[in-house]
Amino acid sequence: MSPPLPLLTAQGIAKSYGPVVALRSVDFAVAPGEVHALLGANGAGKSTLVKILAGVHPADAGQVFVAGRPVQFATPRAAIQAGIATVFQDPALIPDLTVDENLRLGPVDRQRFREGLDRFGLAHLDLDTRVRDLPLDLLRLVDLARAISREPRILLLDEITAALTADQAERVFELLQDWRQQGRAAVLITHRLAEVMRACDRATVLRDGQDVAVLDTQAVDEHRLIEAMLGQATQPVSSDLGSSRARSTLGPAVLQVEDLGWNQGVQGVSFQVREGEILGLVALEGQGQDRLFQLLAGQRSPTAGQIRIDGRPRRFRSPYDAVRAGVVLVPGDRQLAVLPSQSVHHNLALPLFHRLRRWMGIPPDEGRRVAEAIRRLAIDIRAGSQVRRLSGGNQQKVVIGRWLVGGFRVLLCFDPTRGIDIQTKREIYRLLRELAGAGASILLYTSELAEIPLVCDRVLVMHAGRIVDEQEAATATEASLLTAAHGLEVAP
Amino acid sequence: MTGAALARGRTAMPRFLARHGWALGVWALLGLLLAWYSTLIPRFGQFQVVSITKNSLPLIYLAVGQAIIVIAGGIDLSLGGLLLLSNVVAARFMEGQPLGVALLLAVAILVGLALLNGLVGLVIHRSGMPDIVVTLATSYIWSGLALWILPSPGGGTAPEMRWLFTGSPSGIGGTWVTPGMMLALPVLAIYLVLRRTRLGLGLYAVGSHREAARLAGLDVARAKVAAYAFGGMLAGLAGLAMVALTGTGDPRFSVGANATLNSLAAVVLGGVALTGGAGSVIGAVAAAVILIMLNPILSAMGIDPNHAQVIQGALIAGVMMVGGLATILRERSS
Repeated sequence: MSPPLPLLTAQGIAKSYGPVVALRSVDFAVAPGEVHALLGANGAGKSTLVKILAGVHPADAGQVFVAGRPVQFATPRAAIQAGIATVFQDPALIPDLTVDENLRLGPVDRQRFREGLDRFGLAHLDLDTRVRDLPLDLLRLVDLARAISREPRILLLDEITAALTADQAERVFELLQDWRQQGRAAVLITHRLAEVMRACDRATVLRDGQDVAVLDTQAVDEHRLIEAMLGQATQPVSSDLGSSRARSTLGPAVLQVEDLGWNQGVQGVSFQVREGEILGLVALEGQGQDRLFQLLAGQRSPTAGQIRIDGRPRRFRSPYDAVRAGVVLVPGDRQLAVLPSQSVHHNLALPLFHRLRRWMGIPPDEGRRVAEAIRRLAIDIRAGSQVRRLSGGNQQKVVIGRWLVGGFRVLLCFDPTRGIDIQTKREIYRLLRELAGAGASILLYTSELAEIPLVCDRVLVMHAGRIVDEQEAATATEASLLTAAHGLEVAP
Repeated sequence: MTGAALARGRTAMPRFLARHGWALGVWALLGLLLAWYSTLIPRFGQFQVVSITKNSLPLIYLAVGQAIIVIAGGIDLSLGGLLLLSNVVAARFMEGQPLGVALLLAVAILVGLALLNGLVGLVIHRSGMPDIVVTLATSYIWSGLALWILPSPGGGTAPEMRWLFTGSPSGIGGTWVTPGMMLALPVLAIYLVLRRTRLGLGLYAVGSHREAARLAGLDVARAKVAAYAFGGMLAGLAGLAMVALTGTGDPRFSVGANATLNSLAAVVLGGVALTGGAGSVIGAVAAAVILIMLNPILSAMGIDPNHAQVIQGALIAGVMMVGGLATILRERSS
């Protein structure tokens, strides 16, 4: 049987955001009547590819074809008109309008929309409810019902099942089954490999912005998918970071987390970080790790459990409280942490500001401490009059350096090396080891699995809001971590 | 399961209150003020109703225009300047003209200002400059143009225009019917456009969550241009009402600047979120009338008009705090 003409084809798609290359060159094809999975580790470029196919961002290079015809989408609207309907990770629904008003924003067939809701068991949903008042799972189903009511030929689903309950996900798969029989196509992005095996015909695996494999789900198993995502052993940063110290030399527990919870997002999380320890945290995207960090850094209040610092229970009502208790955060988004148009000096001195005594001025030791931090971090200050002109790596050093100046007990690092060159990455890891050696406690979430054994003492794996596994960093491998992160049992 | 739980789980009434509570509150406040005012003066009747209505018209139009722009996620500091422009063009060219010419001129002013401010909206969208910066700049341009067209207060209007906005050809006394209609018809039309048409919902959408609106396939540029065009047209209407009210044109910068600030005060007091996407023009209308009524009330109470602005400011702050508190309490309880 000759393969049918692909309904959707992408050839040589490339995309960079500034200096960060998201997609190098991706070829991708979906046949009519096919449900196709798009797989890859964090940062492999899945979401970027979906955004290009959906007309959100233009590609830098390459060509997209729909049913063999070349297309160029200037706006999401153009993609919809070409028959590509997308359900994004963040529902494209307007929070201040009712469901009904949202439908009226664009051409939507009401009859088909209601049929879609029926399929998902939402026949009785009151369309006069404001979107803001609906829970996320319903929003995603409403968004999906709207997408299918446009009768698209191709449906792009970005992490559609992440917020759904098992029975809701089941109904989505039934829809995809019908879809297949009608000769339409769907592209499914998911971290749940079981879903890929069940609901998808083929899977394209992305790694570092390139397509590395197209696998037939009938012919392979889940472990083969993980292997494809990992590829050849990725080049780790060199291991001259100073070896992890034996557990016996670690001090008492500094940060103790007991049964911490936040609504459905974080559930029953318990762990402790000891003095001088770097505890790694690994998770796929959207497993509650960002919420967990927000709870620890005082940005949100937990709905269950408690946090102890040096054995004393603490309630953080704001990041101010957390910083006062010695818990400081290096956030995932650097833009949240630096004052972009201020100088390096000013940024580093920021934590000292709460010690300013009215108009008495800056403490006299400030200059010395800031200079010390710049020296220790080897921050390149040639462009130092405005932090926004520094490279990403140097900006990240400024964010970390600020806490060297301010002083801390527990350092929370959320993916501090994302999008940073290898040299700076190594410097940051070496600094973290040094800090731990000097008695700091560090919780490090990272998406770079290969580097866990080099930096951390222990590593926790988070999945669906819970801690599902704990491994010794020295013996953890990328495969064992990724397997656990997908919620699968790790073979002993 | 969750769907069934949410379906018709709440009755229509609390939802109506949650959605329109602020506007209802402002209207209730206006009702109270009116009742109070009627006890302050010896005789309260048609004359007062007409007077309050016609005197409120310019600010009502301007507030509605500002509300549309704020709802769509913008802010327009140039509405007062556009009001001046409409005011001086009408005053200079309408005087002594037959009805047909005057009406034609009025339509030309409205369409012209809609196009002009729509263009400003397009510039804001294309340039990516903040709304507040662009409209601050244009506010000076429009005010300057107004002085150029009419260097000092003067000019006049057609009697029919006076009758339309004030209820009498001389601008004194007269019927409540025409000013009442001039209040109700444009406001109703705008309200229906905003809440019932795709374009109007698009304005809410863009103001509420611009990126989601774009992902949903909305034309964000068109929404921005439409919002500013509506604002320009209503500023034009406000200028026409002002000429009809006073009988002359007034190109002074302070008139425009005050009008801009008052329109923002009415929008805020009327429950339109300055962050965009929420609120309605109905609340802004009541708020505009309240702001206009404060002066006669205070003078009836024997308070120095020079102190009126202090009370006006305190009222805005007070209402905002009570409203904010109510919102917090409601969100806690649900």
